[in-house]
Amino acid sequence: MITLKNVTKTYKRGEVGEVVALDDVSLEVAKGEFVFIVGPSGSGKSTLMKLLTREQRPDGGEIYVAGKNLNTLRSWKVPHLRRSIGYVFQDFKLLPNKTVFENVSFALEVIGQGGGRIDRRVPEVLELVGLEEKHEAMPHELSGGQQQRVSIARAFVNHPRLMLCDEPTGNLDPQTSVGIMKLLDRINRTGTTVVMSTHDQQIVDTMRRRVIELEKGNVVRDQSRGVYGYAD
Amino acid sequence: MSRWLHVLREAGIGLGRNLLMTVAVVLSVAVSLTLFGAALLLSRQVDLVAGEWQGRIEVSIFLCDDARCPAITPEQQQELRQELEAEPVVAEVFFESKQEAYDRFVEQFEDQPALVETISPDTLPASFRVKLTDPERFAVISDRFSAFPGVEEIVDQREFLEGFLGLANTIQTGALWVAVIQLVAGAVLIANTIRVAAFARREQTSVMKLVGASNWYIRLPFVLEGMFEGLAGAGIATGLLYLGYPFARDALAGQVSFVPIIGQDQVFSVALVLAAVGLGIAALSSVLSLQRSLDV
Repeated sequence: MITLKNVTKTYKRGEVGEVVALDDVSLEVAKGEFVFIVGPSGSGKSTLMKLLTREQRPDGGEIYVAGKNLNTLRSWKVPHLRRSIGYVFQDFKLLPNKTVFENVSFALEVIGQGGGRIDRRVPEVLELVGLEEKHEAMPHELSGGQQQRVSIARAFVNHPRLMLCDEPTGNLDPQTSVGIMKLLDRINRTGTTVVMSTHDQQIVDTMRRRVIELEKGNVVRDQSRGVYGYAD
Repeated sequence: MSRWLHVLREAGIGLGRNLLMTVAVVLSVAVSLTLFGAALLLSRQVDLVAGEWQGRIEVSIFLCDDARCPAITPEQQQELRQELEAEPVVAEVFFESKQEAYDRFVEQFEDQPALVETISPDTLPASFRVKLTDPERFAVISDRFSAFPGVEEIVDQREFLEGFLGLANTIQTGALWVAVIQLVAGAVLIANTIRVAAFARREQTSVMKLVGASNWYIRLPFVLEGMFEGLAGAGIATGLLYLGYPFARDALAGQVSFVPIIGQDQVFSVALVLAAVGLGIAALSSVLSLQRSLDV
């Protein structure tokens, strides 16, 4: 599903010179896997996510996502790449002036999906995330956990093959986070590959999935059924 | 279908969101397009006059009749004609009787019946119309014949025409430059409102990008918003030109008599140009503005 070969990304930061975000990173994520990306702030987690959706391009190396070589992908085909990826943000990024239903249906509308598919698919995915009752609610009427569920519903509504979750539980309390993780686990078990960056030690330790640890732009650990960190 | 509704709805939201700014932009575009349109109309006016006269730049030798000086006798007229034809600089000589002068006047000013009504077949003098082999050498004719018995006045039409065309050109160039500067200001204003609009909707735009909406689908509402402003400006400019036309016509008719003036319908053919320019500039500046603010 994802292949990185010797990927390097540096940012130019004024007088400081260059900041190396990813340094010669190679890794592979198979179809259907559930992978945690862990590491301190500035270790390159966010850069990795942005490279996978081609929000940014690497300075060196090759990236393949869902069978597409992102280096040679034409920019007008980038929207098609993104339709096969569901993206979940730490801060939900729901549109405040739209209802729950509209926030989810919006993702289908803007890629040209017709009314029939929306009427069928949106209630289905709202039921999956447990918010079928709340479809008329506005985002500000929901709790943080509920908002993140809506955001997951929006990411999943088009049946993406890959879900990228950028610290999805970063703004939530532990109790709520558990619920979100159960939801992501269910989505993973439908065959969807899930890549999740996180700081949440407890979650990683409980889930016991593959863990890739980044530090200063390098992969320092890649462990199946791993935990957040070595005993520290 | 729903995609088009979305695009239109978003464009409408953008326009309504900052109504004052929209009004400012539309007015600015309207002012620049009004000036531009006025310059275009003036150039049509110049073309009309030039076309009317270019073919027959000639020297008119107006003959006396009783109203102004003792009428020319048939013998004097005959002699004048022979002398003219003997001049080497003269290419052709026509005689235009009072009736012919009237008929030509009526034909030339059929659009301005009020003007035609002020004259009768007896008003205009008869004349010899003389084409020169070299129009520059008007002085030869003027020196030789102004004192000729029965000649009232000798007029070089070229001088008159050049005076008029020179003035028109100056006005036209001035109007065009002001219009261009205004148009640049209008384009910058449009670019700015589009940037503000894009900023106001940046969250929605970033969501659209990440769920895979195509670039044109994200941009189109903004571009339509800009184009609406351009078109509205062109519409107002057309209205202003249409309303201003009678005043300009009267002013021109008061300054120079005996000049044909373009009809009010010309405003509408200029309106098409204005609409095209307004839409084009708006589209261009919106797209360029989005290039930076909506970078995908």
